[in-house]
Amino acid sequence: MEEQTPIENTPQASKAPESSPQETPMALRAKLLAGALLAVVMVVGLYYINHYWIAPAVRAQTKSNGSHPLAPAFSLTDITGKPLKLSDYQGKVVVLDFWATWCGPCRIEIPGFIEMQKRYAAQGFTMIGISMDESPEPVVEFYKELQMNYPVAIGNDRLGELYGVMQGYPTTFVIGRDGRIYAKHVGAYDSGVFEAEIKELLAAGAADETQDFHQAGQIFADDKVELGNPAAIDSEVPGVDLTKLTADQKEAYKKGLEGQQCTCGCKFSLLKCRRVDRNCATSRKLAQDQLEAFLKDKSSGVTAK
Amino acid sequence: MQTSKERELRHMRMLLWGWVLMLMTTSLGRAQNNNPVVEAHAVMATDAAHADSPVKLAVLAQVAAGYHINDHKPSLDYLIATELKVDPSEQFTVKNVIYPKGTPKRFAFSDVPLSVYEGTVVVGALLQAGKVMPAGIYTLKAKFAYQACNDHACLPPASVPLTVSIKIVPRNVPLKPVESDVFQRIQFE
Repeated sequence: MEEQTPIENTPQASKAPESSPQETPMALRAKLLAGALLAVVMVVGLYYINHYWIAPAVRAQTKSNGSHPLAPAFSLTDITGKPLKLSDYQGKVVVLDFWATWCGPCRIEIPGFIEMQKRYAAQGFTMIGISMDESPEPVVEFYKELQMNYPVAIGNDRLGELYGVMQGYPTTFVIGRDGRIYAKHVGAYDSGVFEAEIKELLAAGAADETQDFHQAGQIFADDKVELGNPAAIDSEVPGVDLTKLTADQKEAYKKGLEGQQCTCGCKFSLLKCRRVDRNCATSRKLAQDQLEAFLKDKSSGVTAK
Repeated sequence: MQTSKERELRHMRMLLWGWVLMLMTTSLGRAQNNNPVVEAHAVMATDAAHADSPVKLAVLAQVAAGYHINDHKPSLDYLIATELKVDPSEQFTVKNVIYPKGTPKRFAFSDVPLSVYEGTVVVGALLQAGKVMPAGIYTLKAKFAYQACNDHACLPPASVPLTVSIKIVPRNVPLKPVESDVFQRIQFE
């Protein structure tokens, strides 16, 4: 068997250079920079892939499949004192904007909405603003300052919950002539996004659900239309539908909520937190989870209705 | 066995992929989150207090990543200020509330940078304990009120309720400083 030369004695081994202390940090820095540049290129690439490939594919899938929900009815008084009922706009395309004067992103959309009202009102379109301000004074002032040309009313928590406005303001719904919600946008958008949708819906007939609607703009998970359940909204435990429970079960369930603390930091019981802060997503989820567990719990010795 | 160079390269690769992963999740969309955007709790500067003496409190608020709340003195008059509201108390008088300096940030909806709070926000409160207070535990309630936005939408105004238990001890009992690193950040008068 041929004797193998130990590696340390091979010409290649003897020529293998050792990094000098001066070179190593520079080489490492160069590699770090290259890695950082690669990361930036990847992120930019991912953005364009999302924008030009994934989002359009999602948009193609958001074509109407007959599942656009009817916009919940409401009856309010606008800030000029006139009645404002959604049913009065049946047959028109409506953009319904939940906003507030203290919300910067909301305010920058308003001029675009004013232009949309001017441009498309004659074709059967209207803007409606639902302000979630706590008092009308700042809304009236803003309305006059910007010379808003569409009806604005002060909303309430119940209306916000009916429309599933959970992610913040502005949240804007695009409603077709048939009274169905075709698009929801959370956050400020350029008016061009809404105009594309308005034109599509204006061209559609009044009676039938639009079959081939394309939601414009970037689509995010927040933009899924999830309307509130009136039974849950009006419940003794706000946000939790108790209609499946008997009277005794309701009391047992509420007692259970009283015995648990909400983890949002309020230090209230779950029941109290639900009642004093309907917007608390933590207590809402915990109370809903508790209801599911309660309904499944066979050891409670009670059965649901 | 790995050389130190190989270990360094491996470490750099891990850091790099971690960074890419983080950027990917922020660039591809927004995630819904049921956790509160702002959490807060209150601490005292000492383990107890004396009657007829100053009491220093700090409220530590943590603003969730991606969100900001407005400076106590908002840059625009329509913005809702961050405020520590202490409930009226027979035992304690509020002498001063010290807010931190905000960070200027640019937003699409404003021509001027806005002063906002992000991350950890430390607000100080200087109280005066009542003249006659028997030794015992006293409760003080307060609210950390704020209005938060992320880069595209704004949440309704909200508040975090706070309950502070203040132990009053006789004057001959020395007070022990606590949370010194927190109180060093606050300029009490």
